[in-house]
Amino acid sequence: MIHFDQVSKRYEGGHEALSSVSLHIEKGEMVFLTGHSGAGKSTLLKLITRIEKASSGQLRVNGQILNRLRRSQIPHFRRNLGIVHQDHQLLMDQTVYDNVALPLIIAGEHPKDVTRRVRAALDKVGLLEREKYRPIQLSGGEQQRVGIARAVVKKPAILLADEPTGNLDPGLSRDIMELFSEFNRVGTTVLIASHDLGLIARLNYRVASLQDGKLMSTPFEGRRT
Amino acid sequence: MSTRTPNRPTTKKPVSNSANRRRDNAQGNRSAWLRHHRDCASQSLMRLLRSPVSSALTWLVIAISLTLPTLFYLALSSLQAQTEQWQEGGQITLYLEQGLPDSDGDRLTRELDARPEVARAYYISADEAWTSFQETLSINRQALGFTDNPLPASIVVVPAQQNSSQLEALQLIIRGLPEVEDVQLDLAWIDRLNRFLELIYSVVTGLALLLGVAVLLVVGNTIRLAIESRKDEIRVIKLLGATEAFVRRPFVYLGIWYGLLGGVAAWILVTAVAWWLRSPLTAFLNTYGLEANVSWLGFTDTLVLILASIGVSLAGAHIALQRHLKDAEPR
Repeated sequence: MIHFDQVSKRYEGGHEALSSVSLHIEKGEMVFLTGHSGAGKSTLLKLITRIEKASSGQLRVNGQILNRLRRSQIPHFRRNLGIVHQDHQLLMDQTVYDNVALPLIIAGEHPKDVTRRVRAALDKVGLLEREKYRPIQLSGGEQQRVGIARAVVKKPAILLADEPTGNLDPGLSRDIMELFSEFNRVGTTVLIASHDLGLIARLNYRVASLQDGKLMSTPFEGRRT
Repeated sequence: MSTRTPNRPTTKKPVSNSANRRRDNAQGNRSAWLRHHRDCASQSLMRLLRSPVSSALTWLVIAISLTLPTLFYLALSSLQAQTEQWQEGGQITLYLEQGLPDSDGDRLTRELDARPEVARAYYISADEAWTSFQETLSINRQALGFTDNPLPASIVVVPAQQNSSQLEALQLIIRGLPEVEDVQLDLAWIDRLNRFLELIYSVVTGLALLLGVAVLLVVGNTIRLAIESRKDEIRVIKLLGATEAFVRRPFVYLGIWYGLLGGVAAWILVTAVAWWLRSPLTAFLNTYGLEANVSWLGFTDTLVLILASIGVSLAGAHIALQRHLKDAEPR
């Protein structure tokens, strides 16, 4: 599903954020990406979401070779990804419902389907009764769950999360991770960047570890779903 | 591994089925596209109305910028209508040789009347001229000390075309006639007036262009601010797979609304000013014995004004989007 082959990313000025990374994540897998800050976790995710372009090597996501993706193809490629951010990136002037509906509206879904699917996604994260609220009226954990609902509402093939529990206390973090596991159980490929090593260890999934832009090891440490 | 069933190979399905699906898809896409246009149009208007003061400032600037050249245009077209009336009075008087028989004068008049460049020509015999002269002065020839009629017969020619080169051509023809003693032509002022109008017309056009650029800049700046304030939102929706057109659409509609509101406000302003100037202008023109025909913006003029306003605003929006949307790529 996600295949890095000798992928490097050099920024202008010569800083090499990723060097010769080879990482293969199969369909239906759930993988954690760890490493200290500045190790290249964010860069790796930005390459997958095609915010950044690899300097060398080949990156294949969901069957598409990203270096060959034309500018006009990027939006359609991104519609197959669900992305969860650390700061959830919700639109604060819109309701929870509108935030979650956004990917469906962008994809031009019919309003009837939008309502049904938004409710289903909100139900999944346990926030159905909050649909008319604005994100600002919710707690940090609830906001993150809205972000997750938005990421999964289109049932994407791949779910990416960048430090999804970065701002949450341990109890809430466990809930969020459990949510990701649930999506993985129904077949979604999940990649989560996190530095919460304690939490990751308990969850027993495969861990890829980055250090100074290099992939240290991708031993199979956990179960495969 | 995945619990999903693998996709059945599409080649095994009947062709018509997949063609149907493609068509359904295309229809779905088109209705989604129309839906988004409708939503953008209404949401942009709502956004505009939610901050009435700041948006009113923008479309008032647009309105004022458009009002000035439109008023000049109105004044100019009134003036042109007026001068066309005056030009009707532009005529050439041909004084014929003394003693030329009336029959020759009549013949010449008919010949001139038949020419295409002549609207009409009429003959004034020496006697008629003398009678009318005496009537005008209310005296008789004895009192003036004349025994004979000193006036020549004349032909008054009203040219069909009033533009100066054609008038000059006609004048040359007339001067070449052997029966004509003298030609009196009081058309130089018309020529001067026409050139003056052309000058004013150029000034108005230049002014309109300049103020058009002002509208472009005002709308461009307003849209730039709108983009700036929604930069985070743009980043988010781009990451969610929004196309460039999807991102631009609300701002394009914002431009259209500003243009429409500005155009309508300009129309109201122009009409108000024309109404306000109507009575003093009428009074002023009456002192010159002139008919005041203050024109209003007709249907076509109004349509042109509003469409021009929308067009210029759209151009402003496009420039702003071209320049500032690049800064809102996801990070």
